[in-house]
Amino acid sequence: MEALTANFPAEDFGLIAIVLLAPLIGAFVNGIFGKRLGKDAVRLMALAALGTSFLASLVSFIVLATGHHEKLRWVAWRWIELGGRGGRVIPLDVAFGVDAMTATMMLVVTGVGFLIHLYSSEYMWKDPGYHRFFAYLNLFCFAMLTLIMGDNLAVLFVGWEGVGLCSYLLIGFWYDNEKYASAGKKAFIVNRVGDFGLLVAMAGLVYFAGTLSWDQLNASTTSLMVPVTVWPIGNIPTEQVWDAQHAATSMWPAWLAHIFLPETPYQIYAATLIALATFLGCAGKSAQMPLYVWLPDAMAGPTPVSALIHAATMVTAGVYLVARMSAVFVLSPAAMAVVAVTGAFTAVFAASMGLFQKDLKKVLAYSTVSQLGFMFIGVGTGAFISGFFHVFTHAFFKACLFLGAGSVIHAMHVRIHDTDASQDMNHMGGLKKYMPITHWTFLLSCLAIAGVPGFSGFFSKDEILWKAFSEAVTTPQMKGAWAWPGWLGPAIYVAGILGATMTAFYMFRAYFMTFHGEFKGWTIVEGWVDPAPHAAGHHDTEDEAHGHDLSGDADHGAHAHAKVAHGDDAHGDADAHDDHHDHEYGVGKIEGPVPHESPLAMTIPLMVLAAFAVFGGFLGATPLHIEPLVHFLEPVFERADALVNPRGGIEPHGGLMWLMMAPGVAAAVVGIGAAYKIYFLDHGAGEAAFKKSFPGLYQLLFDRWRIDELYDATVVGMLDALADIFTMADKWIIDGIIARLSALVVGAAGSLLRLFHTGRVQVYAASMAIGIAGIGFFMARPHAAVQVQDEFLKQTGEVVLLAAPGLGYSYQWTGVTKTGESTDTFATKREQRVVVAQNETREIVVRVRNAFGMESETKVSLTRKGPAGPTANTPAGGAPQIVPKPALAPKVQRPAGVHGDQP
Amino acid sequence: MSHAVPLQYYLVVAGVLFTTGTVGFLLRRNLLVLLMSIELMLNAVNLTLVAFNRVHQANHDGQLFSFFIIVVAAAEAAVGLAIVLAFFRVRRSVRSDDADLLRN
Amino acid sequence: MATFEFAFFCICALFCLLGGVATVGAKNPIRGAMGLLCTIVGIAGMYLLLNAEMLAAIQIVVYAGAVVILFLFVIMLLGPVAAQEPDARGAMSRYVGAAVMIVASVGGLLAIVRSGGGPLTMFAEPVGDMGTVEAIGHAMFGRGLVAFQITGLLLLVGVIGAMAVARGRHGDAALQKQRADEIRSAGPRQPSLVAPLSPHQPTTGARPSKAAAAAKALLSKEVSR
Repeated sequence: MEALTANFPAEDFGLIAIVLLAPLIGAFVNGIFGKRLGKDAVRLMALAALGTSFLASLVSFIVLATGHHEKLRWVAWRWIELGGRGGRVIPLDVAFGVDAMTATMMLVVTGVGFLIHLYSSEYMWKDPGYHRFFAYLNLFCFAMLTLIMGDNLAVLFVGWEGVGLCSYLLIGFWYDNEKYASAGKKAFIVNRVGDFGLLVAMAGLVYFAGTLSWDQLNASTTSLMVPVTVWPIGNIPTEQVWDAQHAATSMWPAWLAHIFLPETPYQIYAATLIALATFLGCAGKSAQMPLYVWLPDAMAGPTPVSALIHAATMVTAGVYLVARMSAVFVLSPAAMAVVAVTGAFTAVFAASMGLFQKDLKKVLAYSTVSQLGFMFIGVGTGAFISGFFHVFTHAFFKACLFLGAGSVIHAMHVRIHDTDASQDMNHMGGLKKYMPITHWTFLLSCLAIAGVPGFSGFFSKDEILWKAFSEAVTTPQMKGAWAWPGWLGPAIYVAGILGATMTAFYMFRAYFMTFHGEFKGWTIVEGWVDPAPHAAGHHDTEDEAHGHDLSGDADHGAHAHAKVAHGDDAHGDADAHDDHHDHEYGVGKIEGPVPHESPLAMTIPLMVLAAFAVFGGFLGATPLHIEPLVHFLEPVFERADALVNPRGGIEPHGGLMWLMMAPGVAAAVVGIGAAYKIYFLDHGAGEAAFKKSFPGLYQLLFDRWRIDELYDATVVGMLDALADIFTMADKWIIDGIIARLSALVVGAAGSLLRLFHTGRVQVYAASMAIGIAGIGFFMARPHAAVQVQDEFLKQTGEVVLLAAPGLGYSYQWTGVTKTGESTDTFATKREQRVVVAQNETREIVVRVRNAFGMESETKVSLTRKGPAGPTANTPAGGAPQIVPKPALAPKVQRPAGVHGDQP
Repeated sequence: MSHAVPLQYYLVVAGVLFTTGTVGFLLRRNLLVLLMSIELMLNAVNLTLVAFNRVHQANHDGQLFSFFIIVVAAAEAAVGLAIVLAFFRVRRSVRSDDADLLRN
Repeated sequence: MATFEFAFFCICALFCLLGGVATVGAKNPIRGAMGLLCTIVGIAGMYLLLNAEMLAAIQIVVYAGAVVILFLFVIMLLGPVAAQEPDARGAMSRYVGAAVMIVASVGGLLAIVRSGGGPLTMFAEPVGDMGTVEAIGHAMFGRGLVAFQITGLLLLVGVIGAMAVARGRHGDAALQKQRADEIRSAGPRQPSLVAPLSPHQPTTGARPSKAAAAAKALLSKEVSR
């Protein structure tokens, strides 16, 4: 231990590098060399990498806990230096820090990650992309670790994007299937919408707080309490000005105009803006309304991916971020209200969508969204530790649920490989006797998620709901800050209870449909054709949009035949509707493999996770005062917790708490009981009855409120329309007009030029002769061209004239020295210097004679403007009056007003 | 001896010879006559060079240049005649108009 | 002596100009070659007047002794084909070009002659060893050494090129042998290796679209003869 602390001091904790680099190296080796290494080596590399990371995380945790450090830090290098406001220099380092929350999260990520690696080493054994899978999975772990260990928002963002990328890669792992690839794209794009918010938040932090690092942010929160003036809709003149300008003849109705002209703009605190922007990013990453749509589609990826990324780790990154920035969030009750309300709404909304799903993984996906809503309720109401604790427990039981589902699907695969049919719960049933371990772990996790007392989910969820009810964020004493209304907390509590009820219901619905009853999956055999024509094909074209037909028919048929079949054994062999009443009497066992329990590599993680799901709650069982983890995490949220206090009069651990626990327990009992009745006892009769009596509502829930379709129609439709416009512009304008026009012009020019190409040498020679004659004619004549260099004309009046050179040229200058004088002889002087006085215009004439004796001349006129008014005593201006003008000298023009007369 | 022929006379002769050569080149269609016209032109140029060299006697540049022109003209005549022969073999004629495959 | 010089000049000038006209205007190329010879000899005479003895000698040796002889070889090789009747196609552009050239030349000559109205330039006394072999030799291997070497290279290239172009399909050994046999068997009757024009030759109007096909056709005709 001493050696450890000696080698790795808290300020320079190099083990962090090992935690990070091990999965990175694993990813690199598996990715580049995986194919050559072979499956065993790939598995070994992946597991070793993550195992190393886990051990290093464990050591870090122990060092942190026993050494009583607040944070273990390690700086890799200085990344960027920004110039901030007021000349400050804002450094951004690649810095990593491990405090209590990070250490816990690290253990979760690496521990659960290791178990899932172990699981998927068996699950994905037959997949040709084995090495690629583990490369991506290791890369994901690296990115996630970077995210949670980042000591500033910049490094966190790197990890944030990294997990987004790996999510995309892993969702679309089977990229040949277009549906799966599209799901990957959807995840990335929806995430991107959120990332925009995060970038705005980062910019805001840099501007207002001058730092992105957590430590400094926690210290400098006062710099965020500056009001920012916002004109949300438009910044146009105030109402009075507008009214004055458009007094009587106003086109708009006045009220409409006044919406756009707020008399006073809004003032929002910078903390609120930043918190809201951050929350947009979290909503994208953690699948809250309205950006949750990618998570159900993400079930297209392999099940271990769903377990790791979309249950345990990546989706909790949003919660982690809010918790990390608790000091900022807590400054803004408004933002926290947004967080909490969004969380509550999502919890209920997603739970409602999960009620009637067919696909086992989709049920779990909606459950994840709903549970994330709970977590956001937690951090939104100021119960940061509780929210984080729910992250912790959720990781275990949700991962266990997903891995159990994977195990079930793996068993169904013996009948037919990974199509939607193998995930359809209507084909499952009675798996209890085939897969005992999976059954028991699944059941335990279901009990945990339902919130049955004693299990982990109970402690975490109920703590959140209690805190939502009982605590409030104390408004900082600044003007204009919005405070929580008193009813918001209890309202969220009620929503939470509703969500919990629905959670218990659909989770146990899934449990009963999967593990109890009779196995209905006999008809899933490759190449099996349903002799009943109207049902033919719907096993193979499992489309969610049409799926309701199947379940409707199945339940309807089951219901109908359940009534009839009692007295009619002949139905047992009837082939008209055989896959509808096969649950008890129908098609018997078709020859083929039987579902069986998964191998050890898959069941061991299930057992470990289930154990944590059962006993993990006692790490934070606040009502029982057994809460080591909570105490461990307290220093992280000190600043935030200082501003979160119980609402007036409620005692934190008093009798009201026990009382408010009752609805939570009741929710669990009601949910489980309803599911038991409907699915265990009645085999789905209740659902069929509901469907018959409220077909519209049922359809809406089954279609998940048609949010995806709404997005398709609005956002995606808008973009498609925009793309269509550009396509048309490209086709008609650019291709049609511009391309064709230029082609036409070129063609015409070509036709014209083609006339010159006769192919006969003499024609070419003739053209050459004409050209030479022309050039010769030009060259033989003299050319008089003068270059005037008059940069100094204004200042000193000196101008240099340079005549163009030529063979045998001689020059005669006139008007250079004194106006009116000319040099008679032709000399070879090319350059002349002329001085022009103020307010004077001079004309210079140059004659050129070439070797053949031909002559030509040109004139240059120079004017120098001076100050207006009489400039007497300018000799150049006065002289011309006196000297007689020779015949060849040019006329001198003098500006009017110098001597009062015009020439 | 005193020199009775001014420079310009030589230049006129050369000029007329050059024009004759050019006109012949442009108007005649027989390839051999074309080549001979080229020789005429070259000779005219040579005469001009030598005449000017006689005026500016600083060095022998004019005559040297003429020497090289003679050499090059001889080489050119040889190659040109080889081309005429090859052309004849292909086209069976020595009319310059028949060498128009590069038309259009 | 001045008059002798002047008379000699006139004779040489006459040779030049008449020879030039003969070269350009003669229908028979042999006559043209003779005209060229005449011109060359006239030019050589003028070189003598201009103190360029070496150049005059070179002129006679190279031009009259090699170039004109080469021309005569080729003319005789071509035989009667060499004196073909021109046709009137595409004459206009060439007349225009020729007219322009004549006008330009006349104008240029007049410009030269007038020379700005000054006196005609009389030659000064010849300086030193102007135009002698030694002087030219010194100049050539002094100032003009690089040019000399490059000219040698040029001649080499020219020789190779002439050989390559004039030999034709040297890969076709069988064809060459066949032609040689024919000539031998045909005896001395045929004055040229190349067959004269036959009425089946493509006329000016109907030119074959592919020259290669035409060449093949022609050569096959030639072989079959």
